[in-house]
Amino acid sequence: MLRATLRSFLAHKGRLLLSALAVVLSVAFVAGSLIFSDTVSRTFDRLFASTAADVTVAPKDDFGSRVATGAVRTVPAALADRLARVPGAASAHAEVRADNVTVVDAQRRFLGSTTGAPTIASDWYVTDRSPVELTSGHAPRGAGEALLDADTADRKHVRIGDTLTVMAQPGTLRVRVVGIATFTTTNPGASHVYLDPRVAAAKLLGSPARATGVTVQAAPGVSDAVLKQRVVAAVGAGAYDVKTAAEHAKSSAEQLGTFLDVIKYVMLGFAGIAVLVGIFLIVNTFSMLIAQRTRELGLLRALGADRRQVRRSVLTEAVLLGLVGSTLGLAAGIGLAAGLIRLMGAFGMNLRAADMVVGRPTPVAAYVVGVGVTFVAAYLPARRAAAVSPMAALADADVAGVGRPLRTRAVVGAVVGALGVAALAGCAAASRTASAASLLGLGVVLTLVATVVAGPLLVRPVIRVLGGAFPALFGPVGRMSQRNALRNPRRTGATAAALMVGLALVGGMSVASASMSASFDQQIDRTLGADFVVQNANFIPFSEEVTDRVRGTEGVGLVVRQRFAPVALRLPDGRRVTTTASGYDPRVDDVAHVTYVGGGSAAALAPGGIGMDADFARDHGVRLGSVLPVEFPGGRRAALKVGALTDQDAAEGFGMQGGVFLGLATVERYVPGGQDTALYVNAAAGTDADRLRPRLERALNPYPQVQVRDQADYKELVHDQIAVLLYLVYALLGLAIVIAVLGVVNTLALSVVERTREIGLLRAIGLARRQLRRMIRLESVVIAVFGAVLGLALGLVWGVCTQQVLALQGMKALAVPWGTIVAVVVGSAVVGVVAALLPALRASRMNVLAAIAHE
Amino acid sequence: MSTPAAEHAPGLSPADGVAARARGLTKAYGSGETAVLALDSVDVDVVRGRFTAVMGPSGSGKSTLMHCLAGLDTVSAGQVWLGDTEITGLRERELTQLRRDRIGFMFQSFNLIPTLSAAENITLPMDIAGRRPDPAWLEQVIDALGLRDRLRHRPAQLSGGQQQRVACARALVSRPELIFADEPTGNLDSRAGLEVLGFLRQAVDELGQTVVMVTHDPGAAAHSDLVLFLADGRIVDEMERPTAEAVLERMKRFDGVRAAVEDTGRGTDGTGADGERRG
Repeated sequence: MLRATLRSFLAHKGRLLLSALAVVLSVAFVAGSLIFSDTVSRTFDRLFASTAADVTVAPKDDFGSRVATGAVRTVPAALADRLARVPGAASAHAEVRADNVTVVDAQRRFLGSTTGAPTIASDWYVTDRSPVELTSGHAPRGAGEALLDADTADRKHVRIGDTLTVMAQPGTLRVRVVGIATFTTTNPGASHVYLDPRVAAAKLLGSPARATGVTVQAAPGVSDAVLKQRVVAAVGAGAYDVKTAAEHAKSSAEQLGTFLDVIKYVMLGFAGIAVLVGIFLIVNTFSMLIAQRTRELGLLRALGADRRQVRRSVLTEAVLLGLVGSTLGLAAGIGLAAGLIRLMGAFGMNLRAADMVVGRPTPVAAYVVGVGVTFVAAYLPARRAAAVSPMAALADADVAGVGRPLRTRAVVGAVVGALGVAALAGCAAASRTASAASLLGLGVVLTLVATVVAGPLLVRPVIRVLGGAFPALFGPVGRMSQRNALRNPRRTGATAAALMVGLALVGGMSVASASMSASFDQQIDRTLGADFVVQNANFIPFSEEVTDRVRGTEGVGLVVRQRFAPVALRLPDGRRVTTTASGYDPRVDDVAHVTYVGGGSAAALAPGGIGMDADFARDHGVRLGSVLPVEFPGGRRAALKVGALTDQDAAEGFGMQGGVFLGLATVERYVPGGQDTALYVNAAAGTDADRLRPRLERALNPYPQVQVRDQADYKELVHDQIAVLLYLVYALLGLAIVIAVLGVVNTLALSVVERTREIGLLRAIGLARRQLRRMIRLESVVIAVFGAVLGLALGLVWGVCTQQVLALQGMKALAVPWGTIVAVVVGSAVVGVVAALLPALRASRMNVLAAIAHE
Repeated sequence: MSTPAAEHAPGLSPADGVAARARGLTKAYGSGETAVLALDSVDVDVVRGRFTAVMGPSGSGKSTLMHCLAGLDTVSAGQVWLGDTEITGLRERELTQLRRDRIGFMFQSFNLIPTLSAAENITLPMDIAGRRPDPAWLEQVIDALGLRDRLRHRPAQLSGGQQQRVACARALVSRPELIFADEPTGNLDSRAGLEVLGFLRQAVDELGQTVVMVTHDPGAAAHSDLVLFLADGRIVDEMERPTAEAVLERMKRFDGVRAAVEDTGRGTDGTGADGERRG
């Protein structure tokens, strides 16, 4: 029996090829993402472990907030001298490092990363653990010299002798590049400038007596843990964050981990799509192979093979396919990981492909996914094969593509579909975000399952309509192609399902993102009253000089500054809410249209005042006039009186829970040394805004980190940020389409084989090759468009429900991107044409006589 | 393309010309020592307006002869004409058009496109050509074949005999110069077979159609005007106005020769052919 199985596997290897490709793709994404994230985390673990000082002392981080305030937290530089005298310490160094500087070259080009990685300025202090070494030039001496990291120098074509402008919080300094520092390990993507340690603190922190941290090296024989204990004893518990090398490496890795997790989940998302779509393809292939081999299987049964043996034979074939696919997929995954590593290099993160890590779980996962998926997908067809009666061997080979009744599918599809619709309806009616989101998830899964199950039932009515014009447009060729697509609804349904899944996701996501864009547009229209906003794309604070320049520009009237501050509110209901507050200058009402439910900006922005969203206040028992204890970083505390309650729809959407705002002077007092995040600018009376803009732009020319935006530009910025989400969706779509095309090719190729005699007859009675090709192409198009229509319909429903959930977060606008949807339908027709190329060619090349004689 | 169907109006006196002609028609499969001659320099004239049957034992080349005459297969040597058109040397696309417009086909089985109704199957070649069938003629053919109440049925809903009648209607409706029927009764019971043969006979007698039928059934061949006997790739005999008994007798002699050849243990093709020719 095994020999028969092997023979059959080899005999059908051409037909199994496309299924194998689906397995390869799924496994490649699984393996690739595992290898990539293993490689990255191994690389950084090594980097952090090898470069961390034995003990690091840093300002206490009691907030864990990542919001960029522009302020640099410091410790006294003298702490280093104290710690150097701790028993067991070999040396201590006061570290100076500013993560939020802007570096511009002589041509006023921005040298920082465009992907949001920080630009770091620090003191040049080389130990045996430094991740960098000086590879050309000399170390910086005095305030006018600096080193630049080699990657940035290469990327931006900076050479020794070039002049750079470094904008730090205390002020701007001009430096000459006197050397290039090269990373001996991996550079995580940041740009680095190194200054002379003697001037770094003064230039970067504003005071030579400050430092951003102290690194302590242990004397021989003293363990990190022991040294840490002694350091803590020396500085007092709770005053600073004190970490051993291992702890420091771990927390650094955790910070990086969130970014890497995103990549990992994206990759696994791709793998998921590939697996899901691949399953349809494999189920379909095996079903068709078994339908074609009915007589052969009947013969096996007639010769005495029992059902179990037949089933096992088919499943063995599936496992073989899975093994071959997994092996190839593993290899492709290694290639994919290598490609990703190279891609990260283009973004400035230099990983070395040679350091690629293939952990033991990777091949295990690859084979489990590959073989598992194939086995599961082949299980139903195998059962069907086992059910073939021995009589099938004797009966006349029946005409291809007779479907069994679809009653079970109808019942299961209707029940699951009803549950899914109920979940979606519940989600649309829900008033709490958390429950709405989980109902949405449930509804999406259930409706997807229902559509897949009931897909074959929809084939007939939908394709009747879709292909309705075919006979009129394309004559008998069109009629036959439409009928061929209707011939085996189960097969057409399964083939289209592959395309449907991908397009449903795309439809849902594009409705959601269009609605988000529209909501933000509404919000911007409603609230933004300023002529211009000066800020950068990433909400990274900029230096004081920008503000001064803007204020000094002729024709500028009002300038309202905005600054972020992390705060923790102690609320009357006993909850402690950590969020980000915005600080504004007075007269915020002249640059923003805020709806006040109670109070006003004057009270909220006054010293000792605070304002917040009315809904948030109500939920937590806050009233106008309540006095709230508020904590700021660095242990600063204040009691602030609620002076305004506002109606802010989208505050939560911007990730700023509670919509908390206060006076900029208050922020300056409790978070000293901060930098502005945005400037809202109005033209002076009598100055035309259109005239002002070029002047502002000219004034800000030396500061490429900020841009001047009017309302339209601001909307575009928001759209661009949402578009990042869309690009991901389109990439998913691309993958889903590739696999779906494989599925359509597969179905058509097998159909062509099944219909060999029919094709021979058509050719004999005078169907030209061109017409035959068109017939197959049209069938392919109608299948693809069917999948697209089903998928988009499902996606639209999902998208509308998603918008309902987003509406709870204040994004009230619903927008359906009809242009995208029409484009996807047209695109799916093109996909159909492409998928039909090979099967049509094959059919048209068929020898007429051989086709007629075909048994 | 002109309208050859019009040139060949039905009802002309029989035997007023040649519908198809082959000279030195040779068809070899394979090459070199393993080459097999399926047709060995065959000369044949298919007379217009007559019902010609081609008979012979299996492997005699009768199907190959039909395929070559119908432009379905290429020839190794020799020439074939359909009417005045030499079809040997025509290109694939021209051959397809020729089959579509000037020839009708009936096969043993799998004659119809399963997704199309009987009516759609009947008009399929004309639909493909983008021509409209002559409505009066279409009605006449449908009624003649008794398909009036079967027009909306799919092939799967028709009996074998009804399916062959649809195929027959399809072959007739475009008024082709020549209808080729390859074992049209092979899969039918005798009553349905007789019916189909009756229609072909009727088409020749009443409509002036030219029909070439390949068969191995002497009873079927008896409905023809002329039987050509093929053996080992050559036309070895012909019989005008055949009867089933006479044809059977003739065929028995092939078997007799074959048996004799096997008895003497000299199973070469040459001897077999010689034996037949002597017989």
